[in-house]
Amino acid sequence: MNDTAERKLILCHLWVAFAAFIVACFMGEYQVLERSGLLPALESPTVYFASVSTHGVLMAFVLTTFFIMGFGYALASSSLKQPIWNKPLAWGAFWLALVGVVLAAVPLLLGKASVLYTFYPPMVGHAAFYLGATLLVIGSWIWCAIMLVMFTQWKTANPTKNVPLAMFATAANALLWLWASAGVALEVLFQLIPLSLGWIDTIDPGLARTLFAWTLHPIVYFWLIPAYTAFYVFVPKQAGGFLFSDEMARMAFIVLAVFALPIGFHHLYMDPEQASGWKLLHGIGTFVVALPTLVTGFTVIASLEIAGRLRGGKGLFGWIGTLPWGNTMVLAVILSLLMLIFGGFGGIVNASYAMNAMVHNTAWVPGHFHLIFAGTTVIMYFAIAYYLWPLLLRKPLFSNQLALLQLWTWFIGMSILTTPWHVLGLLGQPRRISTVVYNNLLTLAWKPYELMMIFGGLILLGSACLLIYNLVKTQVTPYAGQFTDEIDYAEPIHKVGVLPEYLNGLTVWNKVIAVLMALSFGFPILQFFFMDTFGSSAWGN
Amino acid sequence: MEPITEDERKRILESSPVGTFALMAAVVGGMVIAWLFLYYGVFLPRG
Repeated sequence: MNDTAERKLILCHLWVAFAAFIVACFMGEYQVLERSGLLPALESPTVYFASVSTHGVLMAFVLTTFFIMGFGYALASSSLKQPIWNKPLAWGAFWLALVGVVLAAVPLLLGKASVLYTFYPPMVGHAAFYLGATLLVIGSWIWCAIMLVMFTQWKTANPTKNVPLAMFATAANALLWLWASAGVALEVLFQLIPLSLGWIDTIDPGLARTLFAWTLHPIVYFWLIPAYTAFYVFVPKQAGGFLFSDEMARMAFIVLAVFALPIGFHHLYMDPEQASGWKLLHGIGTFVVALPTLVTGFTVIASLEIAGRLRGGKGLFGWIGTLPWGNTMVLAVILSLLMLIFGGFGGIVNASYAMNAMVHNTAWVPGHFHLIFAGTTVIMYFAIAYYLWPLLLRKPLFSNQLALLQLWTWFIGMSILTTPWHVLGLLGQPRRISTVVYNNLLTLAWKPYELMMIFGGLILLGSACLLIYNLVKTQVTPYAGQFTDEIDYAEPIHKVGVLPEYLNGLTVWNKVIAVLMALSFGFPILQFFFMDTFGSSAWGN
Repeated sequence: MEPITEDERKRILESSPVGTFALMAAVVGGMVIAWLFLYYGVFLPRG
């Protein structure tokens, strides 16, 4: 990344991501305070739901999309050792996405799009919210196109070489996102925008929910794949070792990209519009997608074990203590994997067809997705930022100690926040409520957990401020020395020979995805156009 | 950090990650036990 213009492009994306993140953190703490009922002056369902919607959009759509785009550019240019293709187009995508965010922010902050950052009618927000979200997604599609063009150009120019793992993972994520976002794009384009503009009077919510379910699960893997990429391409080297297996890493990304898509109906287990057979099929697929996560866990831990033993670690677990815990990337991956274990378990409970009924629409669900997203995924975004910031600014990180403290406090805060959240779910607290009235034995039992969540949220807020402080100080502190470090990719233990096309290209997997999507979503979507909808047509009338 | 010999390094790079197998077995086993506890201990008793 020697090109100043490229570094600026990447940095701008990452700054937008973290600006959204810090605003959303303040909103998160407000929400947990408001919901607890501890400060009656704060109580306002209108403000609460506007805040929840904005918090969700900022975290799930803005932080992620801008971070993934910026990180993708960094990986593509450094791993392929070639300039970013069509930088004006990349800037165009950036500005388009940013205009979209601003456009969506206005109705969100005015309480005109308090639809809980979902796309589930009959809740309908202001048209500007949907138009803004559309621009953000179009910006991300342009990024996908740039990544796939660079991937293809490099493969054409280097027919006998393997695509670098970092680029293979990024291209797989771009392909995954193009497929994933198509569902919600159809819903927004043909249902929600016409409805919110008053062009049509009714739509079929069953179809809308089915289309959103198409997007809702793979979007999580779109967010998660950059974290997994860092697991594979940065962590082993940072730990002082080697990647256990390049081929297993590629296989994991392929299975993630292919099987994350046709499984969204576990979000519809309680919905009436899809038959139980289809739900069961998607439920089984959901367990299949746990496999690449297990493979990732194994490969990364094995890479860490090699590093720990090369550093003098002995015995079955003696290598854990010899790992470089003072390295932000290594610390982050350990904490990330710990949260993945518990978050993954929560996900397995959600995906269990029968047991889902116990936790459906309870506080368990936000507890689960905060642990997986804000825990496992976002802690790796921090580690990537700490790694990239010095490379992008050509100066050392302001404080490594502060970064380590920030990672620990994020982990502790997230554990304190999400554990009671899960317990509250099992105690029967619904999700998406703005107030709890503690006037009976059931809700009184919730109060200590709400207080714990406020404490966890405060730790998280402090941790988030530490992150921003460190990044800002790195940016503004003058540095007179020469900084020549570059992205240092992990090498596999065993040299990788020429890989077969199915481990070095995505064409065949794109076809597999098309077949699986047709099988798993074809009839469930088409049925809406043939069944009697009692007064409304699928797209509206 | 103790320095290791070249032979030791080669042996480490060629050895199986036994610690990882043990950790993964413990994690998967723990998940199965926790899932069974939730299913039989919490879900089914609720009727």
